[in-house]
Parts: sequence; structure tokens; C-alpha cells
Amino acid sequence: MKRIHLTRREVLLGGAASLFAAGVARPPRLRAAKLPEPPLLRPRVEAGKLPPMAERLPETPAVEAMEREWQQIGRHGGDLRILMGSERDLRQMTVYGYARLVGYDADLELAPDICERVEVDDGRIFTFHLRKGHRWSDGAPFTSEDFRYWWEDVANNEELSPAGPPIRLRADGELPEVSFPDATTVRFAWSARNPTFLHDLAGPRPLYLYRPAHYMKRFHKAYAEPEALQAAVQKHHQRNWAALHNYLDDLYKFDNPELPCLQPWINTTPGPGKRFIFERNPYYHRVDPDGRQLPYIDRVVVGIADPSIIPAKTGSGETDLQARYLRFDNYTFLKQAADRFPLQVRLWQPATGAKEALYPNLNVNDPVWRELLRDVRFRRALSLAIDRHEMNEVIYYGLALPGNNTVLPRSPLFKKAYRQAWAEFDLDKANALLDEIGLTERDGRGFRKMPDGRRLEIVVETAGESTEESDLLQLIGDSWKKAGIALHTNPSQREVFRRRIFSGETVMGIWKGLENGVPTAEMSPRELAPVDQYSYQWPKWGQHYQTRGRSGEPVDMEQPKRLLELYEQWRQSTEQETRTEIWHEMLSIHAERQYTLGLIANVPQPVVVHNELRNLPKEGLYNWDPGSFFGMYRLDAAFWAGERGDEKA
Amino acid sequence: MFAYTIRRIFTMIPTLIAISIIVFVIIQLPPGDYLSTYIAELQAQGEGVDQQRIDFLREQYGLDEPMWQQYLTWVTGLLQGDLGYSFEYQLPVNEVVGDRLLLTFVISVVTILFTYAVSFPIGVYTAVKQYSIGDYTLSFIGFLGLATPNFLLALVLLYFANVVFGTSIGGLMDPEYVNQPWSWGKVGSVLEHLWVPVVVIGTSGTAAMIRRLRANLLDELNKQYVITGLAKGLPPGRLLIKYPLRLAINPFISDIGNLLPQVVSGAAVVSVVLDLPTTGQMLIGALKSQDMYLAGSFLMFLATLTVIGMLLSDLALAVLDPRIRLEGKAER
Amino acid sequence: MSSSDQSQSMGGPPRGRIPHTVDDQPFDPGGDEVLTPEQERLYMASQWRMMWLKFRRHKLAVISGALLLALYLSILVSEVLAPYNLHSRFTDHIYAPPQSVHLFHEGEFVGPFVYGYEKKLNMETLEREYTSNPDDVQPLRFFCSGDSYRFWDLFQADFHLVCPAEGGTLFLLGTDRLGRDMLSRIIYGARISLTIGLLGIAISFLLGISIGGAAGYYGGWVDSTAQRSIEIVRSFPEIPLWLALSAVLPVTWSPIWVYFGITVILGLLDWPGLARAVRSKLLSLREEDFAVAAQLMGARPRRIIFRHLLPSFASHLIASATLSIPTMILGETALSFLGLGLRPPITSWGVLLSEAQNINVVALYPWLMLPVVPVIVVVLAFNFLGDGLRDAADPYR
Repeated sequence: MKRIHLTRREVLLGGAASLFAAGVARPPRLRAAKLPEPPLLRPRVEAGKLPPMAERLPETPAVEAMEREWQQIGRHGGDLRILMGSERDLRQMTVYGYARLVGYDADLELAPDICERVEVDDGRIFTFHLRKGHRWSDGAPFTSEDFRYWWEDVANNEELSPAGPPIRLRADGELPEVSFPDATTVRFAWSARNPTFLHDLAGPRPLYLYRPAHYMKRFHKAYAEPEALQAAVQKHHQRNWAALHNYLDDLYKFDNPELPCLQPWINTTPGPGKRFIFERNPYYHRVDPDGRQLPYIDRVVVGIADPSIIPAKTGSGETDLQARYLRFDNYTFLKQAADRFPLQVRLWQPATGAKEALYPNLNVNDPVWRELLRDVRFRRALSLAIDRHEMNEVIYYGLALPGNNTVLPRSPLFKKAYRQAWAEFDLDKANALLDEIGLTERDGRGFRKMPDGRRLEIVVETAGESTEESDLLQLIGDSWKKAGIALHTNPSQREVFRRRIFSGETVMGIWKGLENGVPTAEMSPRELAPVDQYSYQWPKWGQHYQTRGRSGEPVDMEQPKRLLELYEQWRQSTEQETRTEIWHEMLSIHAERQYTLGLIANVPQPVVVHNELRNLPKEGLYNWDPGSFFGMYRLDAAFWAGERGDEKA
Repeated sequence: MFAYTIRRIFTMIPTLIAISIIVFVIIQLPPGDYLSTYIAELQAQGEGVDQQRIDFLREQYGLDEPMWQQYLTWVTGLLQGDLGYSFEYQLPVNEVVGDRLLLTFVISVVTILFTYAVSFPIGVYTAVKQYSIGDYTLSFIGFLGLATPNFLLALVLLYFANVVFGTSIGGLMDPEYVNQPWSWGKVGSVLEHLWVPVVVIGTSGTAAMIRRLRANLLDELNKQYVITGLAKGLPPGRLLIKYPLRLAINPFISDIGNLLPQVVSGAAVVSVVLDLPTTGQMLIGALKSQDMYLAGSFLMFLATLTVIGMLLSDLALAVLDPRIRLEGKAER
Repeated sequence: MSSSDQSQSMGGPPRGRIPHTVDDQPFDPGGDEVLTPEQERLYMASQWRMMWLKFRRHKLAVISGALLLALYLSILVSEVLAPYNLHSRFTDHIYAPPQSVHLFHEGEFVGPFVYGYEKKLNMETLEREYTSNPDDVQPLRFFCSGDSYRFWDLFQADFHLVCPAEGGTLFLLGTDRLGRDMLSRIIYGARISLTIGLLGIAISFLLGISIGGAAGYYGGWVDSTAQRSIEIVRSFPEIPLWLALSAVLPVTWSPIWVYFGITVILGLLDWPGLARAVRSKLLSLREEDFAVAAQLMGARPRRIIFRHLLPSFASHLIASATLSIPTMILGETALSFLGLGLRPPITSWGVLLSEAQNINVVALYPWLMLPVVPVIVVVLAFNFLGDGLRDAADPYR
């Protein structure tokens, strides 16, 4: 697939290009007119309540090319059953549905989706061209008015957004100038470059730049009749109109069945409850190469069950597509179930840089620990004393990838050295380094002593959520013992765990590694720089950056300073080469300096798929950001072969 | 009798007030509040929430008011039948709870009936045929139910029911029936799912009940009038039913006070394992996420249920046992 | 015998006055009731001795008592009894099923031994398949030197009651996901699980007796307040209250302090039962003559309660306490299940059970649920013991 870069004045082509690429002669809308309606909508169209398919599509719908080897053209019909762990999980349907202004495809490349085209000028002026004739799920037109309403009446309305527009909209601290040249064009212009803007729009929890204006105006003080508004406020048990508006307009959460949206399936069941039915969006803007309006599947039935029994429920055939709440250690059980039920158990890859990694807290309060942790030789010794290979064999049947917390082989930025630097199991080297630092005195039990006489005992705090972590720590403790280091596990609670790290009380924490382990040079390297409080190895430096110096501590180590510099450079650069160079320098600094001690990555994720469900790859990536779990594989193109997808039904 | 009833009801009130204070304190004890937990969750997903929005939300939910004020708001709401507002569900608690109260009630009642139905014959048998093989065996089985941790038993039975009977895992009915109106199919499905929680929860209570019944019956059977009756030629069965049994039923009534809290709390744990849509599961979730009003109102509901249950059992006992009415104290 | 009256005539019913007869033998008041030495002992026996005799009749209680005594004593030497160290793990024998002990190999008596494992890794289902290898005879060793351990964390030693054959394995109850021997873990787990009840009982006892005693003895407003508090505490559904209270325990506490915290919480919620029993007993007993006498003699209330009243139903108290311990043990398992009690790396039966609480275990590795057996046994034993004690508690009935 052709690689498309964001450089000066380059135009991202979308629907039009693939149309031509597919070699199609007639526009999809015309072909759609000849095709039968999806079974769910047939009665409504025949009764005249809904216009026919050709008229429901925008003039230039997005075409799902279906060119990959695991894709084929399908047919309408059927129900898809999935299980979620709580009502809050309904938002996952927005993640899975993945209708975005721009989105990532199965190769992790950005392409326009809701928009027909995006023009990027100098990395700071973004012009979105919407599709003519695109409608909301209730039939009202989707135009730049929806963007205007959001920008002027929501994001910049003091009562609705007291903190102003979302932080992600700021580039260099400044807000954009937003303009609406015509009904299908929206322009965002900054004075500084905003390299992460499109990525944020394509995220699993996207940056929303629009609202269904025709629906929300009823609940806005400036547009609604005061009496009707007050009645609505009371009906929904809210405190005032602002609370009501914010309560009803969440496009992400799917908690308001009446809210029009652009996703392939919309929630029709009000909460609270245990079973939610999502029906197809009649005005969805995507089609298959034959002109059939997507999604193929008519309904998604979401069952809510306690996460602890979801593996059991999956194993008794109660779901058609499941990955959430299934863990690697459920694989054997699920495989057994696959003998009794028409299910396949596939193993997809996660994209985190490491499933678990140790985070030595460089901002720890205790001065003796601070000095020790900041000594790169100490961190290297700790890493050398971990037997990652054993972990892989014992817990993961040798299927995972031991190594550092860094990019995965799938990423174009991958280099073997990054994963393997200081990651081999070498007790002699580790002991030598520790001796070199001066930790030569030992106590009665054989553990080394710290400079102030205390036993060298590292207390690793966990969020107490998985037995996997305590198992890994058990293994680490055993091998560290041989280097004279004692390890003590302190299971805690997520919030307390975080708080203690932020405040510098924790010496070392364990958590998952890089969220995005498959980056390209175009994606932000923010996880590698001290710019986020939630980077547990340098929380105070991150806080310092985020609050612009108001709290936290400034970076006072040489290499992290360099990382910060490089990050700023990346944000300013536009050349792909520069960006790639920056990434590589940052990655090699991390590999050499071992700021996080990665343990193991690529722990396979079981994905259970019904035998007759098509258009999902056998092996894929299962990741939150980027990827949106099933989003990037376009669940709207999944269909039922066999009985369940009977089009004639 | 009337005076006694009035007196009992009056003493209930300070109890309920004290319970409400304790409940409120307990909910507030863990550090942080709903918002901080919610924010922590968001952060885990990589979603940033800025401080101003947090402060805005805090003020909206009234979480910035002083403790005593929050308490008063809640209690006055309770008295008016307004159970408060659930942050998690963004709905009034009344609407969230809805069906679940009914189901909790149903499960509790069915479990208690099951307990009675099982412990009664076993209790009688073991008392009458004391020290026999039957006595030992049945007592043993009763105790087994008491001794096995509920959650493990529930999980094993869940799996067993699925493999042997094909019952769907968890829940109170098959998924297809969930939002459907009541029909015979739905009733059958509920019964199919109901036996597991009832057996698991019920077995813990049966043992105690059996023991009580047995002990009381043994006491009675050794009394003079029984021996007199036997000597005078009354058939043993009729004798048994006419006199001692009536007196021995005493614990069944008086023990509702003991049984009810046990059943309700047992149901809470078992609901989590079996994923039953009862108050237990929701309560545990609410406690974990510090959804203040939801958790607090639930605890109050459960406690009130128990207090009223105890009141009823005291009243029933007073009716049965004149000694209590006259002397004014409850004899156990 | 006697000399008869002159007017006695032979045959027929006596007519007229019945002659006055006097026996001139020395009079022995207890003559018609001759006691055997045993009966003598019985009637002259003290209260405690009578209780013991009655208790002995209840066979089940006696067996339970002996069993519990053995279990509690075993805590002292867990390190010796367990075939392996608590933390030993064997990466080659993960999720190994239990091995059974045989005496005869191919018809010959060899002494206690186990068959070794043959292991295969099934990469299709990611399962480790173990079969018993009939050619690999591994005789057990007794009183041997095996895994080293620190005895009560005081000194290093490696003496075990039973060990596997050299280079062999002895997993009588199988292994868990890290290859740790389940039998050893259960033996060590007893330390925590059996003692957690005791501390809780102590607290509950203290509270129960003081509050119940005061309520029963003083009556009046003391009684009303106590009754109110009893009712309040009893009205709470247990589990949610434990949940709420355990959520309060600072997670930063070390596991040992969490352990104590849990026992305190369990004890705090258990005292009402005891208090009510104490109260009602006291209410009836304080009218007894001996109590009134003590009062008239000027004894202070505390002395009356503790020296005179309580001992008369101490046995009841003991029985109640014994019946409360199982609640504590089960409570600890429930809390561990909810994730609020003890957590790894501490090992208790509750922790072992919560680790077994998932579908993988039930379907694939059921031996991991075996810790439920000691829980059941101990709970049953305490119940039977308590029953026996209660029956024996009032020997005069």
C-alpha cells in the first residue's frame, strides 16, 4: 500500500482515490440503487418511513476497498453478540465502530473517513472537506454547522466548558482559529505546528470537533425556549441547563439513545440494564466496492456480565466475537471450548512496548535511593539480573518476546539492539557492576547493604490488579537474590499506587510499558520524554512540564534533558528524515540508560471469533492507541457467511 | 400486644438513625471520592482530564460540601423516598436500582423458604432419632454446607450446571429473555438459574437452623409432659406433632432476625460470582468506585430490611410466646 | 430377726393389732444404697470432672478436639512437615497433577514411593500434559534432609519429615502455576488461617463479656444502650460491612499489619452474639441466691460478675467462642476472595482459594481447589467440638 506522508501542502486523498484505484466505473450510489436493502431496514423502507439506500448515502461515500487477503465482499444481515464488563463499557462500541474524521487503517496509516479529504498546510493549517449529502443517524444533514455549533456554542461557551476548549486543541499553548468557508468545509489554523492533531482525531477516544447541532440546540440556553429547557432539565434530574447539555451530548459514551451519531451502530436501549441492542445506522457513510451500504451486520447485541465470568461465558458459546476480558492464561480453556462450539481462538498481538515493566522512580524522596537509582550502572545491573527467558518459558510457554520496554519488531523504527541492550541474563556482569558502585558489604543473610547500612531491599509497589504481576515479581525476586538484592512486593490499589509514585514515596513500581509500541516516525514520541506525570519513572519532571513549571521538579539529569530537547524538536520538524533521526536517538538513549526495565512483550491476546464470521484477520494487532482494538480492522465490514447472515431473511 | 408493638417500633427509630450515620461514615472513610476514582480510571485509559473540569464536576456533584452537610442532604432525601443520585450511572438511584431490589427480595425469600424446607425435616429426624447413623449423616451434610466457602461452591456449581445441564453461565436467566416480557419460557429459565444461588446461600443457614431445631426439640422431648403422654399411651407421632413441635418451631420465627442478614450478605458475595442482577453486585461495585449515594442507600436498604425483619420476628414471637409479652423481655 | 408377738397366729390374714417389731441390729443410714467405687467417684466428682465425662460421651467432639489439637501443634513445625519450602518452585513441573503414593510395584513390595512424571508440551492447546511413568520409581525418604528453610525465621535448617527421592518429585496435591507444591503451601497456610480466628475471638470475647456483662448486671439504661448497639451491629449485612471496613485499611500497611487489622475487624463484628448470651444468662443468674448473698456481703459489682456469676457459665462461653472461630476462618476466606483480605505473597488458605477462583482452575486444574478441604475439616471440627462442649457445659442437666 502506498505510503502517504504529511508534508508541505500535500493533499491526503481519500474516497476519490480509492474509487479510481479500484477501477470502478460507476459511482457507488447508482449501484446501490440496484441492491436490496439490509433485512433490518427493509420493512421501514417499504413502509416509506426511510428513503432507499441510494438516497441515504452521501454523494461520495467512503469505499472500503477490501483489498487485503483476509477481506472479501460480504452481505447484509445478522446479529453479532459481544460481552462487556459493565455499562460503562458501552463506549467501546465507539471504539470498535471507529467512524472518525480521519482514521488508521489495518496498516496503521492515516486515511480520511468521515471527511472526504484533508488538506494540511505547513503542518499547522488543516482543512477538512466533508461529504456532500452526509447525514446524521436520524436523517438530519451533517454539515459544517455542526462544527460551528460545537466551536462557538459549546467549546467556547463559559458555562458549558469553564476550562475552555479541550487541551489537545492547543499547539504551543495557543488555540486555533476556526473558520467555516462553506457547508462542507471546516478549517483549523494554528500559528505553530500541531503534529499530533490528526492522530488525536483518529484515536480510540477521539477529539470531537462537532456535535449534532439540530438535536443539541434544544438544550442550549441561547437557542431553546426557556420553559421547555427548564422542563427538560427537571426531567433529566440535572442541576441546570449546562449540566443537562453536558449530560446529553456525549458522542463517545453511548448513554443517550436519542443522540444522533455517525457510528455504524447506534444504541437503542436506555440504561441501566444488562443487554443493549445496537442497530445499524441507516445513514452510514461507508460502502463496499459493490455499493452496498455498510455495516454488513444489522445489529450488535451487547451483554453485560461480570468480568470474572466472561471467560466462562465465552467458553460456553455465548459470544460471537470477544477479546476484552480474555487473558492469555484462558487460552487452554477456550481451546477446549472450541471443540464444543463453532468458535475459533485466534492469538493477536498487543502493541505495548512491554506487557510489564519496572519503573525505578528517579524522583524518589529518599536521598540514598535517589542517588542509587540515578546511577545508570545500578539500573543496568538490575536489568542484567532479570532472567527474562525463564519468565517467558514459565508463564508464556515461550510465546512472548523478552527484552526491553521499547518498540516492537512490527514498527519501522525497530532495531534489535534497542530490545536487547542490557537485557540478557548475566549475573556475573550484574554483580560486577554492583561491586563497582561500591555496594560490596553484605548482611547476615547475604544481601548487599546500602551506603547508609540498610539492607538493599527494593520495595516494588503494584496496583494489585493481577496475579501475573506478583508471579513475575516472584521470579525477579529469586534472580535478584542471586545478585544480593532483596525484593519485596507491596500490592496496593491503583489510586494509592499512583499517588505514592507522584509524591515520590515509591521506590519502584510495576506497570505496563509503552502504550504505543508500533510507532512510525510520524507519531509522537511523548512517551519517551519527561512530559507526562503518568510516566512512572519521572513523575515529577512530567508534572513540571504539564503544569508549565507550577509544580513538580525541573529535569536535572543530562540525558533526560536531551530527551526533552529532542521531543520539542520533533514537534517543530516537518521533514520525515529529521523525525526518524530524532526517534532513533531517543530510542537509543532509552536502551542505553535503562530508564524503565522492560520485562516481556508481545504476550498474545486470545481473540475468540465465531467460525462463520468473516473479514477479520487471522493474526492482527490488538491495541488501544493506535488501533482502537477492532477499529482499525473495520468491524463494519465484518459479515456472516452461512445461516446467520441470511440476506433474504 | 399493641403497647408492645408500639414500643418496639419506637426503639427501631434510633437504631436506624445510628445505622445511617455509621453507613455514611464508612462510605466516606476510604480516601478520595467518586471523582478521584473516576479520574483515575480515565487516566488509565490514557484520557486526560484537566483540573478545571474536575473542580467543575466536584462542585456540580456537591462533593465539595462539608461532611455533615452531605450527610443531611442524603438523609433528608432518604426520608422523602429519594435515594440520591448515582454518579456512576448518571441517574437517580431509584432508577438504577429498580428491578434489583425485587430480585434481591425474591432470592432472599426463596432461600429462606428453602432453608426452612430442608432444615425442618432433618431437624426433626435428628432429634427424634438421636445418635443414630441417620442423625450423624444428616448433620454432617448440613454442616458441610456451612463449612464450604460460598464463592468457591458457587463457581463449581456454575460450571457443573453448564456442563451437565447446559445452563448458560451466570445471570438469572438466559440472555434472550433479558429484556423480554414475562412468559413461561422466561419463568422456566429463571428457575433453571435460581437453584444454584439458592442452594449455595441456603446451605449455610440450614446447618444452624437444624441445630437449633434439634436442640430445642430435644429439650422438649425430655420434659415431663412428654413422658407422661407416652406413658398414658398417646401414639408417639401424634404426641410429637401436638406439643413439642409447636414449641420447637420457636427458633424458626425468632431466627429470621439472624437469618436475614446472613442471607442478604451471602447473596451479595454469591451474586458477584454468579453475576446475578441483585443488589449485592451493584453494592460491591458502588463501594469500590465510591459511588456515595448508591452505596449508602443500598446499605441502608439492606440494614432496614434486616431491622424490619427482626421487628416482625419479635412481634411474631410475642404472639406465639405469651411470656415475652408479659415479662417484656425476649426469651431465646 | 425379731421375736414375734405372742398373739400372732399361723396362717390367714393378720387379725387385730399388728405386732410392734423392732430391729436390734445397729442402724446404717446408707445401708440400702451401697455405692460401687465408680459411682462414688461420680457423685463426689467436681464440676469440671463431670463436664469432662459428659464430653467424652460425644465421640465426634472428642475426635474433633484431638484433630484440632494436632493441627494447632503442627503449626509449630510446619517447616518440618512440609515436603518443600514455601517458596520453592519448579519450572519443569508447572500445573502438575497430584501424585499418588503406592506400596507395590509390579507385585513386589517396595515401600512408599511415587511414579515420576513424563511431560509433554502441547503447543496446539498450550497445555502441559503429564502422565505417570511406570518405570520411574521414586521411593520416599523419611526424616531426611531436603529443601532448606529458616525455622520460624530464626535459623537455617533442612530437616523434613518426608522428602522426595533424590532428584525426584513429591507433589501429593499437585503444583500450581509457578510449580509450587500445593501440599506444602497448605501446610504453611495453616499458620495464618488457624491463628487469625484466635485473635478475633479474643477481641470479640472481651467486648462481648464486658458489654453483655454490664448490660445483664446493671440493667436499666446500660442495658438499653447495650441492646441498641447489639441490634445495630447485627442489622448490618456482614459482607458489605467487611468490604467497607476493609477498604478502609490503608493499603500501605505491611501484610502483617493488614492481617491484624482483618482480625480486629472480624472480632469487632462478632461480639453481639456473645454479648446477648452473656446478658440473658446474667439476667437470670443475678437473682440466684449466691449472687444476692455476695451482694449483701458487700462485694463490688465487678467482683460479683467476674468471680461468681461468670464462672457458672464459663462453659457456655467457651462453647460459644468455639462456635465463632469457624466464622472467622470463613470470613477470612471471603475477604481474600473479595481482594480485601490477605494477598500474595502471604499464604493462607483464603489466599490459596482466591487464587483458585477462576474458570481455568475449575475446568482444567481442579486440584488447586484442594485448600477447601482443610477449611471444611477445621470448620466442621470446631462446630462439633463446640457442640460437645455445649452439651457438656451444663452437666447437672
